[in-house]
Amino acid sequence: MIPDGEKIHEQQSPEKPQETPAGWQANIIAFACHYCAFAAADLAGVMRLSYSPNSKVVRLPCTGKLDHIYVLRAFERGIDGVFVAG
Amino acid sequence: MTRISPGQEKKDRVGSVLVVGAGIGGMQAALDLAGSGLMVHLINDEPSIGGTMSRLDKTFPTGDCAMCMISPRMVESSRHPNIKMHTLAKIVKVTGEEGNFTATILEKARYVDADRCTGCAACEGECPSKVPNIFNQGLDKRKAIYALFPQAVPNTRAIDSAHCLFLTKGVCRKCEKICDANAINFDDTDKEYDLKVGSIILTPGAKTYDPDIRHELGYGRLKNVVTSLQFERLLSASGPCSGTLERPSDGRHPKRLAWVQCVGSRNAHNANPWCSSVCCMYAAKQSIIAKEHDPEVDATVYYMELRAFGKDFDKYIDKAKNDSGVRYVRAMISEIIEDPETKNLLIHSVDEEGRLIHEEYDMVILSVGFEPRPDAQEFAGIFGIETDTYGFAKTSKLEPVATSRPGIYVAGIYQGPKDIPETVIQASGSAAKAMELLSESRGSEIEEVVLVDERDITGEEPRIGVIVCHCGVNIAGTVDVKRVAEAAATQPGVTHTETIIYACAPDGQQKIRDLIKEKGLNRVVVASCTPRTHAPLFQDTIREVGLNRFLFELADIREQCSWCHMADKEKATTKAIQIVNMNVAKTRLLDPVTSKSVGVTHAALVIGGGIAGMTASLSLAEQGYGVHLVEREASLGGLLKNVRHTLDGDDVQAFLAETRTRVEQSDKITVHLGTTIENTEGFVGNFQTMLTDATHFEHGAILLASGGTEYVPDQYGYGQSGNIMTQRELEAWLAVNQPSARDRFVMIQCVGSREEPANYCSRICCQDALKNSIAIKQRMPDAQVVVLYRDLRAYGMKEEYYKKARDLGVLFFLYTPDRKPEIVPEGDGFKVRFDGKIMGREMEVDADYLILSTGLRPQDDAQKLSQTYKLTRNNDGYFMEAHVKLRPVDFASEGMFLAGLAHAPKNLEETISQSLAAAGRVGALLSRDSLTVSGIIAKHNRDICMSCLACFRACPFGSPFIDEDGRVSHNEVKCAGCGICAGVCPAKAFQVNCFRDDQILAMIDSVTTPYQSQE
Repeated sequence: MIPDGEKIHEQQSPEKPQETPAGWQANIIAFACHYCAFAAADLAGVMRLSYSPNSKVVRLPCTGKLDHIYVLRAFERGIDGVFVAG
Repeated sequence: MTRISPGQEKKDRVGSVLVVGAGIGGMQAALDLAGSGLMVHLINDEPSIGGTMSRLDKTFPTGDCAMCMISPRMVESSRHPNIKMHTLAKIVKVTGEEGNFTATILEKARYVDADRCTGCAACEGECPSKVPNIFNQGLDKRKAIYALFPQAVPNTRAIDSAHCLFLTKGVCRKCEKICDANAINFDDTDKEYDLKVGSIILTPGAKTYDPDIRHELGYGRLKNVVTSLQFERLLSASGPCSGTLERPSDGRHPKRLAWVQCVGSRNAHNANPWCSSVCCMYAAKQSIIAKEHDPEVDATVYYMELRAFGKDFDKYIDKAKNDSGVRYVRAMISEIIEDPETKNLLIHSVDEEGRLIHEEYDMVILSVGFEPRPDAQEFAGIFGIETDTYGFAKTSKLEPVATSRPGIYVAGIYQGPKDIPETVIQASGSAAKAMELLSESRGSEIEEVVLVDERDITGEEPRIGVIVCHCGVNIAGTVDVKRVAEAAATQPGVTHTETIIYACAPDGQQKIRDLIKEKGLNRVVVASCTPRTHAPLFQDTIREVGLNRFLFELADIREQCSWCHMADKEKATTKAIQIVNMNVAKTRLLDPVTSKSVGVTHAALVIGGGIAGMTASLSLAEQGYGVHLVEREASLGGLLKNVRHTLDGDDVQAFLAETRTRVEQSDKITVHLGTTIENTEGFVGNFQTMLTDATHFEHGAILLASGGTEYVPDQYGYGQSGNIMTQRELEAWLAVNQPSARDRFVMIQCVGSREEPANYCSRICCQDALKNSIAIKQRMPDAQVVVLYRDLRAYGMKEEYYKKARDLGVLFFLYTPDRKPEIVPEGDGFKVRFDGKIMGREMEVDADYLILSTGLRPQDDAQKLSQTYKLTRNNDGYFMEAHVKLRPVDFASEGMFLAGLAHAPKNLEETISQSLAAAGRVGALLSRDSLTVSGIIAKHNRDICMSCLACFRACPFGSPFIDEDGRVSHNEVKCAGCGICAGVCPAKAFQVNCFRDDQILAMIDSVTTPYQSQE
């Protein structure tokens, strides 16, 4: 419970919000479980479904194998989004 | 013929088995048998294996995608060295006898060369001939050259000769022109050949009822009336509307859906008299999934009786009602009418107050049941087996997987309607019977592959070869493969690059083998299709020339690149370069993986000396393995000691006595009576157990068949009068008493079942009530029998006995749990009051005997056993199998198996099937001389481990353990390679082979490199 009169201010980001340039697409790295999400990505291909090519899949034996360091390293290296699927 | 010794006779049996039908049952039997060292010929009449389950969208209760579950089984079946698949094939003749059959196979011309076809589907695009798509239940069209479904196994296309323009009219050949792999062969012919097999397992499956016969329901006439199997395809992501659920008339998303149950079932007039056993549950599943697709969906199920008799089934129905808001209406539907304007559908029903209700729906799903295939009689004739009146294979309740012909076994719906887990159980059970028969011939028909020694690459710098596959135009048509190869050549460690038209074709494989030798490659990356299906093939290829199988990566630039980005070739090429480069980065860091192996003790521990434990023990002994059978009581027999007859009239006590004698006389079975488990140590293949009587022994597997108990009621005045009995007590009473014409029996169903604290169906009580009421009526037709029930769960063929009981004059009245029957003692008898729903008023009947249909409860020591063996139980206290559908007798822990009432309530026939299944699964494990540990496992570095126990808690397989030093060690035999331990380990002491942190980080660094350089 928030006591009466006390307001929570959202913390301001030190970075200024940037305009997204036209045509910009996020670079996504996906960590996918070999048994389900990786198979789903394969099925998308088999069914000739179309999606943005700016996503690359790293296969893991299980999403339980995902380590924080993978996500941090990906962002550190400039990736725009991380998708974990499994 | 000279008479030879029985042992010799067994040795002369052929060590191979014919499995007819490659649905989930056929595949299960084939994999079990192949795993036990027998050669398997797996026959299927369709161009792909998969059967009915491959047509389903999802399965309950987990909502798992059916294809995701069955697809690995299909791939495993196709890749197993001991399984030979024969598709588009059927058996035309069988001669010989058990142990030595000769089966004649007719394999239809496929017109596509399986060795050359790469499954690229370029031909399908060219083919001008459109044919109704049988796989999608006629909802859309396929071509005359086709794969049965996108994930078909084998992935070789087939030409439908009835619709191919060239084969029918002599013109076209477009597929032949487009096929770069030269796989089309119009000169192909039907082939007939003989196979020698020792045993035959029949798993041909069934067909669903054709609702066209019930014209009043409008199927085939009204566009928005579909069958339940069509609805599965409409829901499926790979179905005709890509899983968006559109109704056939106008493609709109339907909002008001109705299911009509029992279409083609429980109706001897113009359909089938039996209950199909599965429709109640799939209707619940479909309604839940439809609601998941679109929350605005209103789902209504019109049903006669809710037969949710299986493990956790009632809970799933509750989920449909309470969480998904599915409306259940007890009504028989006589007609479906279409509004000609909107194509909406009108259903009339009568509600509980007797009023006529009209309701409008956007779409109606007919829950069609199972029936034997139209060729069932001819099929039975070919194999020389007897069928029942309807065409199902004839079996006995005491030998549920044995046909009338020795050596031929049956599983699945061909034996009677059943769901996936029961089909899988019977499949493993029939495999066990074949393993018994052919135990002396194991290994006689299979070939051991001898490989060259592995080359030692220690100290060598990486010399990576990158092979980029065109896959005809599949990849090269979108991705510039030359540029991909050139880009790969710039990567550190890459010493050779090459493009190949078809890497997976025999000439492509040879090219890879040659390159490894000529260029001295020590690691290989193939950039082509998905590693899920093709990595094992290439791994075998590099191993054949002495390279460790794990010095390989497959970069998926087809399914995950060219096929999805056809519109933008430039971006697709960039993505392909990135995919290949990140796999090269990983490959640079790959090390050879040597798989360890451990020995196997060829004996099993069977816990529980009831019929489940004894049946499994006898099967294992017959297969040639030692058994330690542990029973806590002083004698064998368990709950079956109290049962006299089955519903079908089999003499249970004679059967029990014979079984007990066989167990006691077997020289392979050691019976330990009056004792329990003190502790068990070890792991799969190598367990050591100590009993409470201090006996100890070694064994390779554990089968838990610890049974259940009968519920002793504390309601309806039980115990206060000798005239209030349970069904079991009535059975005993009837054995010594003759009912008189004036006797009035009132049976109350679901006593202590389907309500808290035991809110589940005990499955056997309806059968018990039918059995006893029929017995009373047959012996004394004038005696009165009234059954008060909630849902009469006479599933499958038991429906016949429900009808028989009604024909004999047994009176059935419905009651609901909110208004239970009231008992008022009166003299020696009782007055029983209940809400006579059908009569619309309260009813009262007199009873001399009050019979309580009490259910089953988990065994008292289930809790203790679950702690001893770290096994999970469901909310009701029954042990949890590894997977509800596909691993119904396995525990998640390796080397441990489950059968009988310990798993869930079930009848004798089902218990025997499940016990045989468990014996088959145990047998396949014990047949091995050693167990090879998988290559993809977690490796534990004890030197940096802090023994924080994070892994110990997280591992689903129990492979980390606390060793004699009080520190964490890792049992690699139990490890499944999921890497959860590696994810949670703060010290990073766990690393998974081929998925090490440095390897994954190298991939991340590689795939992010171009973006940094752009800045």
